[in-house]
Amino acid sequence: MFRAKRRTVVSVAAVAAVLLVAALVITLTQGSGQASGVTYVGGNNNQIVYAAGHRAVAPDFTGTSLTGAPIRLASYRGKVVVLNFWGSWCPPCRAEAPTLAVLAEQYKSQGVSFLGDDVGDTTTNALAFTHDSGITYPSVNDPGYAVVQDFSRVVAVSDTPTTVVIDRTGHIAGLVIGEITYQAMTTILHDVAAN
Amino acid sequence: MTDVHTPQDQAAAKGEETRSFGTTGTGPDATGADAGTGPGAETGQTAGWLRWGWRQLTSMRTALVLLFLLALGSVPGSVLPQQGADPAAVTQYYASHPALAPWLNHLGLFNVFAAPWFAAIYLLLFTSLVGCVVPRTFRLAGSARTPPPRAPRNLARLPHSASFPSALAPAAAIEKASSVLGGQRFRLRRPAPGDTGHWVSAEKGYLREAGNLVFHLALLGVLVSIAVGGLFGYKADKLLVEGQGFSDTRSALDEYNPGRLVTDSDLAPFSLTLNRFSASYITSGQSSGQPSSFNAYVSYTASPGAPAKTYNIRINDPLSVDSLKVYLIGHGYAPVFRVTGPHGNVVYDEATPFIPANTGTFLSDGVVKASDGSLGFMGVFVPTAVSVNGVLESVFPADDFPAVSLIGYSGNLGMNSGVPQSVYQLDTTGMTKVSGSPHLMLPGQTWTLPGGKGAITFVGVKQWVSLAITYDPGQVPALVCGILALAGLLLSFLVRRRRVFVRAVPAASGTGSVVTVGGLARTDASGSFEDEFAELSAELAAGTGSAGADQQKSEPNNQSEAGA
Repeated sequence: MFRAKRRTVVSVAAVAAVLLVAALVITLTQGSGQASGVTYVGGNNNQIVYAAGHRAVAPDFTGTSLTGAPIRLASYRGKVVVLNFWGSWCPPCRAEAPTLAVLAEQYKSQGVSFLGDDVGDTTTNALAFTHDSGITYPSVNDPGYAVVQDFSRVVAVSDTPTTVVIDRTGHIAGLVIGEITYQAMTTILHDVAAN
Repeated sequence: MTDVHTPQDQAAAKGEETRSFGTTGTGPDATGADAGTGPGAETGQTAGWLRWGWRQLTSMRTALVLLFLLALGSVPGSVLPQQGADPAAVTQYYASHPALAPWLNHLGLFNVFAAPWFAAIYLLLFTSLVGCVVPRTFRLAGSARTPPPRAPRNLARLPHSASFPSALAPAAAIEKASSVLGGQRFRLRRPAPGDTGHWVSAEKGYLREAGNLVFHLALLGVLVSIAVGGLFGYKADKLLVEGQGFSDTRSALDEYNPGRLVTDSDLAPFSLTLNRFSASYITSGQSSGQPSSFNAYVSYTASPGAPAKTYNIRINDPLSVDSLKVYLIGHGYAPVFRVTGPHGNVVYDEATPFIPANTGTFLSDGVVKASDGSLGFMGVFVPTAVSVNGVLESVFPADDFPAVSLIGYSGNLGMNSGVPQSVYQLDTTGMTKVSGSPHLMLPGQTWTLPGGKGAITFVGVKQWVSLAITYDPGQVPALVCGILALAGLLLSFLVRRRRVFVRAVPAASGTGSVVTVGGLARTDASGSFEDEFAELSAELAAGTGSAGADQQKSEPNNQSEAGA
């Protein structure tokens, strides 16, 4: 009788173990497939470049800048646009800002425009920050994340900050989720600005 | 392992372990239909083990063990702080149990409901239930389609029987009987061509099997609904101050728990603005200070460009937008501060949510981070201020006499290093206090900091609400399936399956025939089949042109299931 019980325990444990392993394998393998036309800068999944022909159309938007000027994405057609989603409350955004300021200066002559989208923020806080960090390009005043919502239906603007690179035809050519690095941005921009 | 047994042994031993859902006993519990068919040769060994494993998994005992494990596994979820529900409490636990916490984390105990072992338990339970219910469903479907059995030879042996002479010939009498039974919506079976004798078998109460079938299918439906909800649903939290809005997109949400198959672009494209929040409290009597109503007045658009609508979200009255629901789950105060930096420019102007430390009086804690003025403040907010021995206290949850008490810090807040930090905590490592004691402020007052470090104004008070956004596509199907399961169960309990057989033989006199009626209720708890049978045989007697039924009732113990 005890042998029978032990047998049952062992067998239930064996079946449980097999299914546990199966569950783990399913969990771990989920979402590891790589789409075609996508390359990752430095093997980092958060630094994405889309090959020509695999680029989604960037949703157009109109908005008001932090200083009250109208902004429309479509008016940038013909230029490469670096669109940075940020907020003055967000430490990684604050950390990457000086790098963005440097890149904006560096790529100005190559027809690359920088544009910010300031989310979850107040204009006072945001302007105090851009003034301090030397950012001169305009930002859309977007406290309610409206532009983010439009973009996240096309690309993974899943975190703040996220930086989207839009090519001269208005298609999304690259994406950095989280804090940018100078290296990653120059790699993406070198490609996109040349074409 | 010395006691390895062949699967055949196991199969025979465990064959009885099939389980029965719902209805009592009568169902075609083809118990261990495949129990004896163990694999014979070497090639069948693996298949045998697999079959045995499957039988183990789908046994009642395993399901109960799994159910118990599921309950047991949920215990740490309510005892230990959970990452999803309260990340701050997890951090606190790490601080107070530095040795234990990493181990608990390895075991996934801070995120129990997302832990692989927890998933393993419920997937196994799911498999076990499905593995049990599906074969039963097929059996029931088969049983619901089976025609009545052939009429037994000796109908007088059935629990209920009656016999009467008829003026009609046997074939005509059976024809009449058939039309009587058919008129009462019995399912009929007549002799096949070539069969001898004149008889008709009739069966009624197939709804019992149908109810049982509906119950099992609905049970599967409930399981599938729950799975669908878990895979495609999501839950999110968002804190909003009056006047603020947000769009339903991942980065705008404070907490976001998507189902396994939810992608960011699946989120409903609505946006919502909190126009005003009001809370009323009972002002007198024993329950003074208890909330009497909460109203969150919001405007929302279901998708970008859609017309804006307004709604008043209350407790238990969520906003429904685009098949998801927005619940009001919390509220608090957000004092508005304006901070001027050392150079005289305004560096911070924002309603700052403070978190209630006491949910009775709404004494709340919060921080102001004016990184661009190198200033930070830790504060206590009280909606109705009194001084108790020089300590600021709140006596009422409404903002009747609001005040804040601030401790000022100057220096580097560490926000430019890029390391994420909580918006409710101030990292004072690189900062120094600007004054020794906390500074008390009323709305409209400005505190000019010593040493030309700047100033802070307590502009006024706003309120914030915490909203829960939930999308559970399995909710409605689960409810429907639940109701169907109940209905099916009731049906299978209330409807009796009963059989009536009629045989006619030529009368000894040469003209007419002798008609025998036999009846059998397959489950007759209520005993009312007796009356039904009496009525039916009277009708049959009348239908077949007889003078009267000579009924012979048998004892109520219907141990013979002759026709079954």
